[in-house]
Amino acid sequence: MRDVKDTRSTRAKINLGLTYAVMIFFTVMAIYPLLWLAMNSFKTTTEFQLNKLGIPRDWVLVNYKDAWVRGKFPILILNSIIYTGITTVATLIFSFMAGFAFAKIPNKATKYTHGSFVIGLLLTLQSIMVPLFLIINWVGLYNSRLGVLIPYIGIAMPMGIYLGTEYIKAIPTALVESARIDGATYMKIFISIIVPMAAPVGVTVAILTVTGTWNEFMLINILTSSDALKSLPVGVQKFAGALSSDFGKQFAALMIGLIPMLLFYMFFRKEITKGVAAGAVKG
Amino acid sequence: MPKAHTLADAKREQRRAYWTLVLPGFLVYISVMAFPTIFSIFLSLSDYSGGKLFGGKPVHLVGFKWYQNLFADEYFYLALKNNMWIVLVSVFGQIPLGFFLAYVLYRGIVKFADFFQTMIYLPTVISTVVIGILWKSFFAPYGAFPELVRLFNPQYEYGISNHPMLPVLFVILWMYTGMYLIIFIANLQKIDSAVIEAARIDGATEGQTLRYIILPALSGVLVTTAILAISGSLKSFDLIFVMTAGGPANRTSVLSIYMFDKAFKGAPRYPLANAISTVMVIISFVLIGLTKWAESKFGGRE
Repeated sequence: MRDVKDTRSTRAKINLGLTYAVMIFFTVMAIYPLLWLAMNSFKTTTEFQLNKLGIPRDWVLVNYKDAWVRGKFPILILNSIIYTGITTVATLIFSFMAGFAFAKIPNKATKYTHGSFVIGLLLTLQSIMVPLFLIINWVGLYNSRLGVLIPYIGIAMPMGIYLGTEYIKAIPTALVESARIDGATYMKIFISIIVPMAAPVGVTVAILTVTGTWNEFMLINILTSSDALKSLPVGVQKFAGALSSDFGKQFAALMIGLIPMLLFYMFFRKEITKGVAAGAVKG
Repeated sequence: MPKAHTLADAKREQRRAYWTLVLPGFLVYISVMAFPTIFSIFLSLSDYSGGKLFGGKPVHLVGFKWYQNLFADEYFYLALKNNMWIVLVSVFGQIPLGFFLAYVLYRGIVKFADFFQTMIYLPTVISTVVIGILWKSFFAPYGAFPELVRLFNPQYEYGISNHPMLPVLFVILWMYTGMYLIIFIANLQKIDSAVIEAARIDGATEGQTLRYIILPALSGVLVTTAILAISGSLKSFDLIFVMTAGGPANRTSVLSIYMFDKAFKGAPRYPLANAISTVMVIISFVLIGLTKWAESKFGGRE
């Protein structure tokens, strides 16, 4: 009897040890490439050639200085902040407005208007890329900030509308009705009841829009040509992607491209993971 | 607002409020998503060859000519095959792996669950462009990968790979597994833990609990993740565009890269590019339909 118990607990210990080993393995796998990148961004290119895997002998900052200036990173970061900021604010406002109307104001059109947004969840960027490029050219918005922002907002809308409508539906209709009886207009109800109560879903929508817009690469690449309008990912691709032998500088440029999202993740980790889980509604 | 509403006034205000709230977002959405989608199908059936969209050379409908061209092109099948590899890695790699990791963390088998989760999810938040260039340099002949291999096999020499898709598939697995981990954890936490405790007290093993309680409760989520994985795989563009741009010799091309090349590289062939994107949408709908069919046929009853 005793033996059985002993072997059982030994086996449990081995299993636990194995589980830890597996978890640690996957964690190392996930972060090693990023650590490798960070370490090498502090090496000169000459040192990298000799020492590809180890920690730097001298930690140099010159790569960062060079990349920052030659890659024109200040303007890229500023552009990314403009695109992401305006897209997120506009998506939030439009999603809340329409979400409120869909959830609380009866109208026969909702079946079609709301329905068309839900179909949008299934549409892919590929199916609109070429026509969008042609249309933006046709209306004369090619190579302009507005010509990037309008598509960005439209693309973020379906998810914002979907999450917003579902959330606002759960707000008691009695609140809206009693305010109506007291003579409040829908606009007043929207500002004073709906917006404050729907704030939590606003965080989710904002997180999804920020991450999606900040990392967007394909559309802005075809909708703009001027360097002054490019976003951070496009700039990183143009600058770092072209450096095939100057590794130190390339790695520093990649780090500059990586740090903003890393900071965002550090500050909003809980909200991001919640948002991703909530956003997994496609289909 | 005065309180002396008549019913008709109230109805009118209601309608006006509805449209004031809906229209701004709706118009933006229609003009950048709904209309271009329809326009894309029209283009794929036309002979538009660039130039002014309206008032330029007249555009005619030419039927399914471009689709026939497409189905006769061997590169289409090459790209399609690579897309299917990505679908396979996503559905049978990312999802089971993500589920396994989520399950270990959810059941509290290891400590520091928060730490593991944070680290494994980290690659997903970084922009694909950075990830793509990073791995391109890592796998390059002068990068760290050959060096790493030499630690174990000093004889190793870098050569041109016979399987150029392998690094791409590996990076896709590396980058997105964390997303499924997060989705599964969030949904595992929704399961009533009392049910699991009760089953354990009644003597159910870990395996039985998983088989009879947890997996059935997650069947809906499994289908959702499968759909996400399929549509995500068909869309994959950024990473491959940055890592290999479809090369060498189109051997890592996927449908979206193939489409991009037709539209924006060399002389624009917009109708053909739109035929590709239409086919992509159809494939994605068919695969999603199949997944839903499989669920209703074999899926767990919730």
